[in-house]
Amino acid sequence: MSSSNAAAVLQRAAELRSTLSGQFRDETVKSIYAEAERIAGRASHHAGTARYDFDQRIDRIVTSPIFGLPIMALLLAIVFWLTVAGANVPSAMLASGFFWFEDQAAAVFTNAGAPWWLTGFIWHGVFRGLAWVVSVMLPPMMIFFPLFTMLEDLGYLPRVAFNLDFLFSRAGAHGKQALTMAMGFGCNAAGIISTRVIDSPRERLVAILTNNFVPCNGRFPTLILLATIFVGPLVSGAVASIAAAGTVVGVVLIGVVVTLAVSWMLSRTVLKGQASAFTLELPPYRRPGILRILYTSIIDRTLFVLWRAVLTAAPAGAVIWLLANIFVGDVSLARHISNALNPLGHAIGLDGVILLAYIIAIPANEIVVPTLLMVYLGTGMMTDDVSLEEIKRLLVTEHGWTLLTAVNLMLFSLLHNPCATTIITMYKETLSLKWTVVGTLLPLSLAFLVTFIVASIW
Amino acid sequence: MGPFLITVAIGAIMVVLFLALSWASRRRASQSHHRLEDALKHLFDLEYRGRHGSLASLTGALRVRDGATLDLVKRMQTQGLLVARGAEFDLTPQGERLALQVIRAHRLLERYFADEARLPLPQVHAAAERGEHHLSPDAADRLSASLGHPSVDPHGDPIPTREGFVPPASGTPATAWPMDRLARIVHLEDEPPISYAQLVAAGIEVGQVIRIIDSSPERMVLTDGENEFRLAPAVAANIFLESAPPPPAHPCALRLAELSTGQAAHVLGLDDRCQGYSRRRLMDLGFTAGATIRAALTTFAGDPRAYEIRGTLVALRREQASQVLVQPLEKAS
Repeated sequence: MSSSNAAAVLQRAAELRSTLSGQFRDETVKSIYAEAERIAGRASHHAGTARYDFDQRIDRIVTSPIFGLPIMALLLAIVFWLTVAGANVPSAMLASGFFWFEDQAAAVFTNAGAPWWLTGFIWHGVFRGLAWVVSVMLPPMMIFFPLFTMLEDLGYLPRVAFNLDFLFSRAGAHGKQALTMAMGFGCNAAGIISTRVIDSPRERLVAILTNNFVPCNGRFPTLILLATIFVGPLVSGAVASIAAAGTVVGVVLIGVVVTLAVSWMLSRTVLKGQASAFTLELPPYRRPGILRILYTSIIDRTLFVLWRAVLTAAPAGAVIWLLANIFVGDVSLARHISNALNPLGHAIGLDGVILLAYIIAIPANEIVVPTLLMVYLGTGMMTDDVSLEEIKRLLVTEHGWTLLTAVNLMLFSLLHNPCATTIITMYKETLSLKWTVVGTLLPLSLAFLVTFIVASIW
Repeated sequence: MGPFLITVAIGAIMVVLFLALSWASRRRASQSHHRLEDALKHLFDLEYRGRHGSLASLTGALRVRDGATLDLVKRMQTQGLLVARGAEFDLTPQGERLALQVIRAHRLLERYFADEARLPLPQVHAAAERGEHHLSPDAADRLSASLGHPSVDPHGDPIPTREGFVPPASGTPATAWPMDRLARIVHLEDEPPISYAQLVAAGIEVGQVIRIIDSSPERMVLTDGENEFRLAPAVAANIFLESAPPPPAHPCALRLAELSTGQAAHVLGLDDRCQGYSRRRLMDLGFTAGATIRAALTTFAGDPRAYEIRGTLVALRREQASQVLVQPLEKAS
C-alpha cells in the first residue's frame, strides 16, 4: 500500500471515529462477557451451593454491624500481641549471639596485630550496625508477616477493608489503606509495597505518601522505652505499666488521625488531578496454603526488606563509628555536630544529640536509641546494655530531659521522615522523584512543625 | 569567624537573587507564550462558529490592556500566524494548525480531569486551561490513546485529531429550538464561565434529553421529565441541541444504590456520566447489561455495600452504585 493510500485510510478512519457513538466500548465488553459465559456454561457445571452458602454465613458475621469491628479489633490485637511477645526472646538471643561473635572476631583481629582503628571500624562500626538492625527487625518480621499473610490468604483482609472503608472514604482514601497501614506496623517499606493491592491510582498514592505515619517495629522500641521511663512513673505502681502501654497506643492513634488528616489534605490538593475509582472485590474464603504463606512472607517480604535494610545499615554503622572516633581538638566529631544542632533541637523541645541520632539513623530507625546512648555516654560504639534506671539517670539528671523531651521525641519519632529503605521503596513503587520528595519532606516538615508547636505552648 | 560568615551570607543571598531573577524571566517568557496560545484558541473558536475575531474581542477574551493586545497581534503577524482584513483577524493555515494543537490538548485534558480524576465539572475547564500549554503534541497523542481516543470533550465539543481534522459545528442554540420537541444536549458553551457555572449548578449536562416547555423574553423553562430548569434566555443560548429519539423506557429502573439489601435485579447499564477509569473498572468487573446482581452485604455505616454479581462479591460505595442502573426482580425472601 502506498503511503498516500495509507494516509487516506487513516483520514477516513478519523472521520468515521467522530461519527461512532460512545456505546461501542460497552457493546464490546458485553459481547466478550456473553461469549465467556457461553463457554463457561458449556465447560463447567455447579455442584450445589453449599460452599457458597457457608461463605455467606461467615461474611454475615465478620461484616455484621455489631460484631464486625470487635472481631477485627480482636484479631489484630492477637497478631500484634503474638508479634511483640514472641519477638523479645529471639531478638535478645540474636543480639547476644552477634555481639559474642563480634567480640571473638575483634579479638582475632587484635591478636593478629591489626591496628585498633581497623578492628573498630569493621567490627564495632559496620558489623555492629548490621547486627543491631538484623536482631531488632528479623524476629518481629518473621512472626508478623506470616500471620498477616495468613489472614490475607484466608480472604479475611478484604473484609477489614470493607468494614473500615467508611473512615477512609471521608478522607478521600481507599478502605484497603487500612491493610497497607497494618502492614506498615511491621515495616513501612513492606507497607508501601503492599499498596499494590489498591487499584485506583490516586488512592494508591495517598496510601504510599502517608504510610510513614504508622510507626514500624523499628520505631516501637523507642516509643516503648520513652513511655516506660517518662510516662509510667507519673502514676503510682500498679497502673504504671498500663499507663505506659496506653501512651504507646495513644501515639499509634495519633498516627492514625494524622494519616487520615494528611490523606484528606493530599487528595484535595496535590493529588486532585490523579485518576480515581472505588471498587473492592471480596474473594471467597480459602484454606490458607502454608507453604505459599511461608514463601511470600519470608522470601517476598521479610528477606526482601531485610536485605534493603542491611544495605543501608552497614554504611550507617560505619558513619557512626567514624563520627564517634574522629576527634577534632579533644572532642569527637559527633559532639561537635550535636553542639551545632543544639539551637535547632532546643527550639523543638529536643536537643542536638537527638537530631544527630536521627540524621545518622536515616538508613534505619532501629539505631536511634543506641546512637543516642553512645553520644551521651561518650563511648566509641553503640551501646544498649544499660539498665532502664541508668538510662533514666543519664537522660534526666545529666542531660536535662523532661517530660516535654519525651513527648516531643515520641511525636518526632512518629512523624519524621521515612527511613532510607522506605524512601527507596517509595521511588521504586511510584517511579517518580516528585512523589518521593513529597513523601520524604512532608512528614519531616510536619514533625518539625508539630514538635515546635508543642514546645512553644508547653 | 565574623568576616567568613558575612562572606557566606552575601554569597547565599546572591545565589538566591540570581535564581529568583532567572525564574521570574522564565516565567514572563512562558506567560507571553501562554497568552499567544490563548489568542490562537480564541480566534479559532470564533472562526469555528462562523465569526471573526477583532482587537476588542481579543482584549476581552485575554483580559489584558489594549496595548498588550496590539503588541501580541503584531507578534503573531510577524510569525505568520495571523492576517488582518480591516478590523477583522483571520488565522493563517500555520496559525490554525497551532490553534488546533492547543485546543486538542485542552479538550483531551478536560476529558482526563472529568473522567479519570473525577473533578467536578465546573473545575475541569480551569484545570485544563493551566495544563494545555505544557502538553506537547506527542504527550497529547499518548493521553488520547490512554483515554481511548475520545471524540468529544465533557462539554460536547469535538476533539481535533492529531492531523488537525475537526468535524463541523453542530447543534442549534436552545433559544432557536421549537417548543415541546425532544432534544439531546450536544454542547454547553463553557465561555463565559459565569453562565456555564449557572448551567452546571442547575444540573444541565451534555447528553441529557430535554424539552422546552415555556419560552418568553424573560425566561425559558426546560424539563428532562423529572426536573424543571428555569433559565435566562442569555444563559439558555449557551445550550446547543440536536433532535433526539425518544429514550428507551424502563418503567421501574432504579439506581443500584437504591436497591434494598437482599434484593436482586438485572443490570440495565451504566450512567453516561460514569466515564473513563471508573467505567472501565465497572465493566471489567462484569457490570454489563443483562447481568444479575444482588445487594448482599452492608456495613454498619451503610456505605459501602457489597453486591453479588457473576458469582463474586464486589463492594461499591454509594457514589459508584448510583451510576449503575438496574431493573429490580421480584422481592427476594
